[in-house]
Amino acid sequence: MLHDLVPQLFNGLVLGAFYAIVAIGLSLIMNLTGTINMAHGSFMTLAGYLAYSLVLRGTSFWFALIAAPLICVIVGVLVERTLVRPLYKREPFYSLLMTFGLSLMAEEIFRLIWGSNGVPFSPPAALAGATSLGFMAFPTFRIFIVAVLVVAIVALAFFLTRTRFGLRLRAAVQDTEMIAALGTNTQVLYAVNFGLGIFLAGIAGVLAAGMLGLSPTSGNALLMPAFVTVIIGGMGSLFGSIVGGLLIGTAISMTTLFIPAASEVSMYVLMAIVLSVRPRGLFGEEGIFG
Amino acid sequence: MRARRELAVFILAVVLLACGPLISPLVHLDISILSEVLVTTLAVLSVNLLLGYTGLPAFGNAAYFGLGAYGAALSVTYLHVDFVTAVLAGAAAAVAGALILGPFLLRRRGIYFGLLSIAFGEIFYFIAYRYTDVTGGEDGMNFPRPPFGPGLAHVAIHETQFYYIALVVFAVAMIAFRVVVRSPFGRTLIAIRQNEARVRYLGLDTDRFIFVALLISALLAGVSGALFGLLINFAYPLELDWHQSGNFVLMMILGGAGTIWGSLIGALIYVIGKDIISTITPLWQIFLGALFVACVLGFPRGIVGSLGALRRRRPVDPEDPVSSEAFDAGAPVEVGRGV
Amino acid sequence: MTRPVINRRAFVTLAGAGTAVAFGIPAYLPRIGEAADAIQIGVLEPYTGVYAAQAENETHGFEMAVEMWNKRGGAMGRKIQLVKEDEQNDPGVAAQKARKLINQDKVAALMGTVSSGVSLSVSGVSFTSGTLFMDSGGHSDDVTGKSCHWNVFRTCHSTWMETHATGYTLAKHFGKKWFLITPDYAYGHSLETGFKDVLARIGGEIVGNELTPLGTTDFSSYLTKIDAAKPTCVLVLVQGDDYTNCLKQMNQFGLLKKYPVGGPQVELEALYGLPPEARQGYWGIEYYYKSDLTLGKGNAAAHQFVTDTIKRYGKPPTARNCFAYVTADRLITAMAEAKSVDPVKVAHAIENVRFSSIYNGAGGTYYRKEDHQLMWPMWVAKIRPDGTPGDKYDLFDVTDIQAAEAIEQTVAEKEKVCKLGYP
Repeated sequence: MLHDLVPQLFNGLVLGAFYAIVAIGLSLIMNLTGTINMAHGSFMTLAGYLAYSLVLRGTSFWFALIAAPLICVIVGVLVERTLVRPLYKREPFYSLLMTFGLSLMAEEIFRLIWGSNGVPFSPPAALAGATSLGFMAFPTFRIFIVAVLVVAIVALAFFLTRTRFGLRLRAAVQDTEMIAALGTNTQVLYAVNFGLGIFLAGIAGVLAAGMLGLSPTSGNALLMPAFVTVIIGGMGSLFGSIVGGLLIGTAISMTTLFIPAASEVSMYVLMAIVLSVRPRGLFGEEGIFG
Repeated sequence: MRARRELAVFILAVVLLACGPLISPLVHLDISILSEVLVTTLAVLSVNLLLGYTGLPAFGNAAYFGLGAYGAALSVTYLHVDFVTAVLAGAAAAVAGALILGPFLLRRRGIYFGLLSIAFGEIFYFIAYRYTDVTGGEDGMNFPRPPFGPGLAHVAIHETQFYYIALVVFAVAMIAFRVVVRSPFGRTLIAIRQNEARVRYLGLDTDRFIFVALLISALLAGVSGALFGLLINFAYPLELDWHQSGNFVLMMILGGAGTIWGSLIGALIYVIGKDIISTITPLWQIFLGALFVACVLGFPRGIVGSLGALRRRRPVDPEDPVSSEAFDAGAPVEVGRGV
Repeated sequence: MTRPVINRRAFVTLAGAGTAVAFGIPAYLPRIGEAADAIQIGVLEPYTGVYAAQAENETHGFEMAVEMWNKRGGAMGRKIQLVKEDEQNDPGVAAQKARKLINQDKVAALMGTVSSGVSLSVSGVSFTSGTLFMDSGGHSDDVTGKSCHWNVFRTCHSTWMETHATGYTLAKHFGKKWFLITPDYAYGHSLETGFKDVLARIGGEIVGNELTPLGTTDFSSYLTKIDAAKPTCVLVLVQGDDYTNCLKQMNQFGLLKKYPVGGPQVELEALYGLPPEARQGYWGIEYYYKSDLTLGKGNAAAHQFVTDTIKRYGKPPTARNCFAYVTADRLITAMAEAKSVDPVKVAHAIENVRFSSIYNGAGGTYYRKEDHQLMWPMWVAKIRPDGTPGDKYDLFDVTDIQAAEAIEQTVAEKEKVCKLGYP
């Protein structure tokens, strides 16, 4: 069993990297405005379907990888301006309910447009197949996912620390009133922040479509692990989302090795433990949600 | 004066509901769906108590609902109990669940409470799904509807009788609910919703109050689940899923959080509305989703709440639009004006 | 948006009008397009949810059968009319819809369902009210096993039949050391039991059995164990979206090139969602539109069915179309034979009557009297990964046929668990 350990561990980390991408997007949206986006999975599925349609019309996978999330951002910002904005003043559970309703609508709309069947979507030939890593042969596409995560983190970190806008965003998370008083247009801030989160969801969605299946209900399955990741990693901390994701991925793959029956429920158990013992999560900031 | 008016409304409602079997064929609805409305109302009441009155996001009440259903199913299948005992078994299972989960849930408030509820609900869901030998797993459990009570073995409960049993349970639950929320205990819950710290400063142990509220809520949800299981002669894991909890919350918001009759109205609209719309079009889910969205955005007080607010002519507080009797600023402490 | 503006009068009026309309609608619904003397048959299908595609195909099958009968003047001179309800893949909703169809629409019989939980729930409700229920698409053994009833018949193959049809074939082609990837819930457990039974009979071994819990989207943790177990073939028991995920990932891990893969059943609907490079292996199929082995050489009715389906719906029939068509056809036939819609009479008219239909049923197939399972053959097919030029739906080479009696439990075994309980 010991020589199963290393491949499983590696597997778990890579899975975790994927959850981390989703979780960061979710966390971004949550941190600034307290919006709990239950429709995050729907945006992921939307990006997957858009990428599928684009590739069907002859574009390359790479183009679709960027274009599909961008289209999602447009939809996302529209949603934010019309449906999410009125709920900023209210408690988070309203946004949870509203976005939940949105996800119900989205699922049916996907069914209308793309049919109830799953649709086939594959990574491009360059990324298909497996690469030998010495101790195991590993799907190239999954390695690509890790690469995307790294790029995303670097880009996000750069954006948040080195650009003016990013600075304002971080300041707004700390104290929105103050930054508004200092003259920043917080509405623009909210919209861009939401858009950024959706963009990450879109990228994750296209990646998920390549790795897993694509059907109207795809997004739902990926939503819960993402939430669990955010909670365990800590609300309010992007770094926490990364660590949380890796933790969840590893936990799931390790439980699979030792107690397979419990592997999917293990993340809920983890979540329950974290929430009971230290609700702000590993790296979360006190007071985000009281 | 108000109490008398409330009594009149209550009697009127019960009488109207008692005519259910006569009305239902006229509107082309099966009597069993009216039973479903009454039974579901209990679950909505349970959410209402925690969320509408106490202000705790109760997103995991489906767990108690499901425990109730499985409690009834298992007791009938393996212990061959009668109807009444089955309901009690279900209720006991649900309360037991709350006793176990309570200490964990109590440690948190706000959205953490909600997420913890969801997490526990999902854990129960997975357990029910996995242990096929006991629970039938994803296939669910078929179980017969037992006779009403010991010594009444020859009295089978058909749909109409079931409806009246549900009506009686409903009436009792409504009375009990009203008693609870109007009592000092209930007032304390409302006060906790408004400002828990202040209540603690007054020397009250809010944890105890919330724990009791949780138990009552679990009891209501458990009875609801047991009755529902007996209604459809089936128990299945989806009853425990958080989507089910979400539906209860929607019904509460539709009807009016923090109001006594809101639970019934919400259940009525949701159950019957969904039945009608799903017959007309397979796109009913879009309507349901749109209803959620519209409700949360524009109609957070729900029907009963809005009617109440209209009568009082108060503006909706954007930060906390949930209506609740003693909530309105300026209302005399003793007489919060309910519907 | 800080304050919803509600004009009180408008609100009350709107609410009142809305309620009146809402409650008035159902009173008129069934009247739309209803023929006075028609035989109403209820159809319960999951038009929303993960099985929506199957639901659609089953409905097409029902419609075609009913149309054919109505062209001939119906049964007993009465036309047949379908009343459809969405059971939403939810046993609770299904029970209520079943009651609605029985009590309000007064249907003569119920047909349909895809998921086993729903089939069992509807079976219970229909038994209580003494209405016929033809389970066209729910596979659980219990429907004709421990939860069987006199009023319930099942068309599609049982889980036991699935495992035995494919088990014998796979052992024949690929040896007897199997690695199983099993969904960790009721259906998966039944499949596992079935395959274990096959191996016990032919002397094989399960070298690995990975139980994948509900919600597993990532199978990598299980797939990495395959190499160490050294199986002769890998059996994928998961269904639906999980099936797609698993195979895709097996492909990405290079496993499809290393090991033969197979399974108890594949639905064409799921296969269409799989990219071509992941389409491998030998799978049990319950019907196929383009093979003499499945249709029967020279079976005019079978070919007509395929042609008609393509003409009408633009795509060839899947097993679901077939189940539904056969179900409706046999139900109406029985009504015509019995000259009645009385459930008991019709039930007796269905039992043990041999018939040939739109598939290869040499010798005649029949709904077995003891458990009401349709005894018809099952087939095993190899996927053609690149499909067929000119026909994107043609993905199978049907290689084997297994007779019903060889793959289903015997009457003696069934009678131990199934008591029909005729009134």
